[in-house]
Amino acid sequence: MSAVSRFPVANPMVIFREELDEWAVLFDPDANETFALDPTSVFIWKLLDGKHCKEDILTKLNEACNDTPEDAPQHLDEFLEELAGKSLIGVEK
Amino acid sequence: MTTKNQQEIQIPECGYTLNTIYFYLTEGCNLKCRHCWIAPKFQSEDAEWPSLDFELFKDIVRQGKALGMRSVKLTGGEPLIHPDIDKILDYICEQDLQVTVETNGLKCTPEIAEKIAKGKNPFVSISLDGSEAAEHEWVRGVEGCFEAALEGVRNLVKVGIRPQLIMSVMKRNAHQLESIVRLAEKENVESVKYNLVTPTARGEQMHEQGETLSIEELVKLGEWVENTLQPSTKIRLQYSHPNAFKPLSKMFSRPQGKCGIFGIIGVLGSGKYALCGIGETVQKLVFGHAGTDKLADIWNNNKILHDIREGLPKKLNGICGDCLLKEECLGSCIAMNYYTHHDLFAPYWYCAEAAKAGIFPKTRIRPGSQYEKVI
Repeated sequence: MSAVSRFPVANPMVIFREELDEWAVLFDPDANETFALDPTSVFIWKLLDGKHCKEDILTKLNEACNDTPEDAPQHLDEFLEELAGKSLIGVEK
Repeated sequence: MTTKNQQEIQIPECGYTLNTIYFYLTEGCNLKCRHCWIAPKFQSEDAEWPSLDFELFKDIVRQGKALGMRSVKLTGGEPLIHPDIDKILDYICEQDLQVTVETNGLKCTPEIAEKIAKGKNPFVSISLDGSEAAEHEWVRGVEGCFEAALEGVRNLVKVGIRPQLIMSVMKRNAHQLESIVRLAEKENVESVKYNLVTPTARGEQMHEQGETLSIEELVKLGEWVENTLQPSTKIRLQYSHPNAFKPLSKMFSRPQGKCGIFGIIGVLGSGKYALCGIGETVQKLVFGHAGTDKLADIWNNNKILHDIREGLPKKLNGICGDCLLKEECLGSCIAMNYYTHHDLFAPYWYCAEAAKAGIFPKTRIRPGSQYEKVI
């Protein structure tokens, strides 16, 4: 079963820095690790505020993109699981 | 599924596979480049300098394969003036090793090009420091070398190898960054790489004499190459500034610029093992001699290699220690950092100068770093 919260929220300790090419740097000071987010991931990251569920995020993605792939829900699940695995977002207790 | 070859190779005791050996085949070079970071002796009809013995080369390759080696880089000096270059290329082909050749192109004859083409996934780069003879030959110090280099390019293209052009950027030729791309398109090469003249050996003299570009100019040129020049051509362009200055989109769409230091060792023309070609000028980065020392002993037990493996990137200091991309960049070039500061983990000169000038990308600096305050 997924450990990702129904309303996922970004770890507030993680530093998020947007760059000019719409990518972003994520830095986790606890783990001293850096990650790069592509523009789609940046879009999702900004919705990880504890107020949007996965369905909300997918709806917003569909609104923002003309050609969201059919397997977008699966990609979103994988992305959120990856973030949870790295403690970059909160998980269900 | 693994091939027979893969099954036979065991991870060396040190835990690191030797991926590639950089062979600096000759102590001499047939050009007199004013920026060269190795500074080989000039080889002409009147003076011939030592080069790596062919039997020793074969022995090193055999030992390297036992440590996992799958590829070799032939460089120099100038690899194609090696007296046994034919045999060396044949042997590499027999051993099924991927080959990279870094050459000035002058001796890249149709016969040599054919031999390189027979190798496994050959990659060749040819130095061309301008789109016109005047600039190239001012840098390279030998009349006629521009046309000869272009002939080398054409010989490679004829046998199906689209080489990379490498241009070393300095004040004298900075106005030709675009025209060399147009030349590259005309000659059907694969890519253009812009190298920045580093403050090492002869390059150090150029820095001292004010013949290189300032850090502000270099950073601006890098942005221009990536954001303006690249979209104007189908040819891949690579500007050799450190990762901290590259757009993330470029870094992750086609990774480049990360030194493979954990899987590389150098062999000099004298037969000495070294970190890389820096061993020509920094004795402390020479690890032994292929005539007397076993490669496996050096690879597994050399203290400097051990220190690098243990220390990179966490021991990097200065701005490199506070860079969020240090895992990707690994200090850019340990050899050069050691040359400059006698410290393996010293910051890379480009990043240190940019930080001092207040133009290091602020999104790439660790929060709380002293370098944040400079910006």
